[in-house]
Amino acid sequence: MTTGYAPPSMYRSREGMGVWEHRGKVAAVGVGHSPTERRWDENPETSVGAWSIMALRNAMADAGVTPNQVDGLVIVPVTTTGAFWPEDKALPQDVIEAFVQTDDPLDGIAKLSVDWLLKNMPELTGINYSLYAPVCMSNALNVAAQVVGDGLAHTVLVLKAWHNLQGRYYQGGQNAQDAIGGTSAMRSLWGAPACYGTALQFAEYCHKYGKNHDMMTPFIINSRRNGLMFPEGYWAQHRPEELTDEDYQLARWIAKPANLFDNDIPIMCAASYLFTTAERAKDMKQKPVYILNHVDSNAVPRGLTPTLDEVEAECALTGRKIYEGAGITAADLSFENMYDGFTQFHQFHIEGLGYRGIGFGDALDFYQTDISIEGPNPVSPSGGNIGSGRSRFWMHTDSIQQLQGRAGGRQITGVDAEIGVSGGPMPLGGNYTVWSATPD
Amino acid sequence: MSTLISFDIDGTLEIGDPPGAVTLEMVKAARAKGILTGSCSDRPMSAQRAIWEEHGIEYDFVCYKHLLADLKKQFDAENYYHVGDRDDLDRKYAIRAGFGFFWPDEAAENPLLL
Repeated sequence: MTTGYAPPSMYRSREGMGVWEHRGKVAAVGVGHSPTERRWDENPETSVGAWSIMALRNAMADAGVTPNQVDGLVIVPVTTTGAFWPEDKALPQDVIEAFVQTDDPLDGIAKLSVDWLLKNMPELTGINYSLYAPVCMSNALNVAAQVVGDGLAHTVLVLKAWHNLQGRYYQGGQNAQDAIGGTSAMRSLWGAPACYGTALQFAEYCHKYGKNHDMMTPFIINSRRNGLMFPEGYWAQHRPEELTDEDYQLARWIAKPANLFDNDIPIMCAASYLFTTAERAKDMKQKPVYILNHVDSNAVPRGLTPTLDEVEAECALTGRKIYEGAGITAADLSFENMYDGFTQFHQFHIEGLGYRGIGFGDALDFYQTDISIEGPNPVSPSGGNIGSGRSRFWMHTDSIQQLQGRAGGRQITGVDAEIGVSGGPMPLGGNYTVWSATPD
Repeated sequence: MSTLISFDIDGTLEIGDPPGAVTLEMVKAARAKGILTGSCSDRPMSAQRAIWEEHGIEYDFVCYKHLLADLKKQFDAENYYHVGDRDDLDRKYAIRAGFGFFWPDEAAENPLLL
């Protein structure tokens, strides 16, 4: 079976597309996670491939679905943004040989293919349709929802996995080269940390609206708190440390005004969800969570780094597309789980949503109010990447679990969990899903 | 002659992630000599305190690496040293603060910790 990338026609990228044609007809049922770890210990059983298989099997078990009932796979084949197998390092033959191989020796180690998964999951006998989604789980969710909605497959496993290797993140790959290929030389400033663009936008934001970095403190504290109630997450599993105001406010600048704790920690992890038709979901093990809409943001910035004006315009557009396609308004949102890998764009996302009526420039003041899971205005109940490590999927897992009533200690109690939205990563360039406890 | 030694945690102390060459017994040995000790790490300061307390080791300070120089204002010692595993962080900030610097392996063999 040949697997290609999802075509542009599958994405809902424009305003004015109306209500999603499959609104309420596609449901998420099963959730599966692997453990987390800071870096790979180079053992076969903890490889990104092994943990991907684990997450897929856990999602099927969670949904109460047998493997032969699954007929579709949507995966993100790239399993890192910053950890690359060094060219001068010998390939881990023992790990490669522990699995059925493809013609790419790094398959299952530093990348992932449908072919590799199917070779190593012989129980998946019913796969008739598969697609790759780029970037991250948010994108894959959009694709999977459309696949099921369009009837291309009826029961789809969606997967995103991350590997992390020994050594420093973002120091290898093209960053370690003397020359850089393609247009990256025009877009990737040498020597700047990954968060510099967002930090620049945040600095502009603070200047424009008269805010300051310390106002982010309640959001950070809240996110770590929520993350420590996410048993699948890195901090809960390995370093259950709350953060104090002092911890955050005195931390080292990475790209001022973004400090260490405004950045997520790279980890190894994998997650999978089982999507199916609303009809089939009724007979599955967990309460269905219906998808009301999915949205794609594909704005192209005018320059190397989007300006605050561009960010705000695109976030506002994303908000409008989210509500238009779902047939809802901001007032219908019970919670938001927008991306927070860099903490300082989370407020752009929620301002674009008009969450709880806030407008541009309001979010940092909003953070000073009750944003807890117990309150009326829960912000990032998942805790996001800040709360659980760099995965870009805690927000989605939590959204599903909130609406299924099984978010455990994180379950929002100040409002009823009825409709939520999650997605990212960037204000310009992201994918979003609207989830609902009911199909209408 | 009063001495202060600050320790990075990850990659430096045996309890770090990854573990380093400096053992907690070495820290205790330093303290037994009257050396002021504590940690200077990127770990949250509240977490640094919790680590020392969890292992039952007294400490005179915790701070962030980039605030190493502040220790000179807090403590009037004749010698200041920092032990860490990162050239771009530990060694850089140690030099900027006017501290002596040891890599973990060097520190583990230094009479100050034995």
